[in-house]
Amino acid sequence: MASNLCAIRPLARLKPLIRHQRCIKLRQRAYATQQTIPNQGQPPPPPQAATLEKAHHSMRRITLKPPPPAMYNKCPSPVETFEASQIAALDPIGSRTKLFSRSNPDAVKVGDILLVRTRSGDPFAGVCINIRRQGVDTAILLRGQLTRVGVEMWYKIYSPNVEGIEVVQRRAKRARRARLYYMRKPKHDIGSVENIVRQYQRQKAALGSSDVKGRDANAHKKKNNKRGRN
Amino acid sequence: MIQLKTMVNCIDNSGAAIVECVKVLKQKRHARIGDRIIAVVQKQRSFGPESGPGGSVSIAAANKVRRGDIRHAVVVRTAKKYQRPDGSVVRFDDNACVLINKNGEPIGSRLNGIVGSELRNKQWSKILSLAPMHL
Repeated sequence: MASNLCAIRPLARLKPLIRHQRCIKLRQRAYATQQTIPNQGQPPPPPQAATLEKAHHSMRRITLKPPPPAMYNKCPSPVETFEASQIAALDPIGSRTKLFSRSNPDAVKVGDILLVRTRSGDPFAGVCINIRRQGVDTAILLRGQLTRVGVEMWYKIYSPNVEGIEVVQRRAKRARRARLYYMRKPKHDIGSVENIVRQYQRQKAALGSSDVKGRDANAHKKKNNKRGRN
Repeated sequence: MIQLKTMVNCIDNSGAAIVECVKVLKQKRHARIGDRIIAVVQKQRSFGPESGPGGSVSIAAANKVRRGDIRHAVVVRTAKKYQRPDGSVVRFDDNACVLINKNGEPIGSRLNGIVGSELRNKQWSKILSLAPMHL
């Protein structure tokens, strides 16, 4: 069968044959070189054997250096580790983390009214319309109204400038959006939260006074906060 | 981001209600809080019964500027977000400015509305002290 085919199409069989031949030749040449290289040395056969042995020996003696220790094994995720250390430094008691963690059912959600006390300047209150969770850069966007002008502030929750974050009022129903940017529209704008905040502060003060030491309790809380920060 | 042709609210009692920016001074880009601009008064404040708070008080000051006047002004609020050095960001719902004379003294005698506290860094403490509130 094959011969027949060859008769019909000689080239079809020739090509692989040639290729095979070339392969064989190459292999032979390789053998030849392997043999000839030691032969090229001037000393006759016995020294040749010695050089071979020597070569063999030296080849064996090559010591491979172990690869440098991989940084990966030392710290598989450096960025995360660094952020964790930063958070640990900025929020040692973990109160802020807890206040904004997804696993905490009592965590702050969008739509809640928050009061942020800063180290410099007045406290700012507003509706939380966005929580940007980015590790140590986690920030909240508060929208409030001051002197009838809408104001939005981003605060980094781990910032040392932020002394405290208080939940003034929770949203009655869970917001069905993650970002409540529609609250910028006049139709949905809840306006000033000043009254709600004032009421909350009064209530808090009242609760504190019924607790025998209102201001002290507050002061203690603040102190706690400070201790937490340092 | 206040630039050529931007219509800016005027929050002092100089008599202007809305001004149009015609030049941002000392800058090649848009104006931010605390930047000086040149503005044209486009709309005068009407001191009728429906005027805002402080309207009746400043009748005497009402005609300090007229429509078409070209004045210097300082931007005090921007709708564009502004990031502070501590990482917090502030954004107002409108653009607002205060008219000043060439020496940098405010033309009006009182402001109604919040202003950004960046004015302090830019040596506009006079405006800051006139303002009812700053953030």
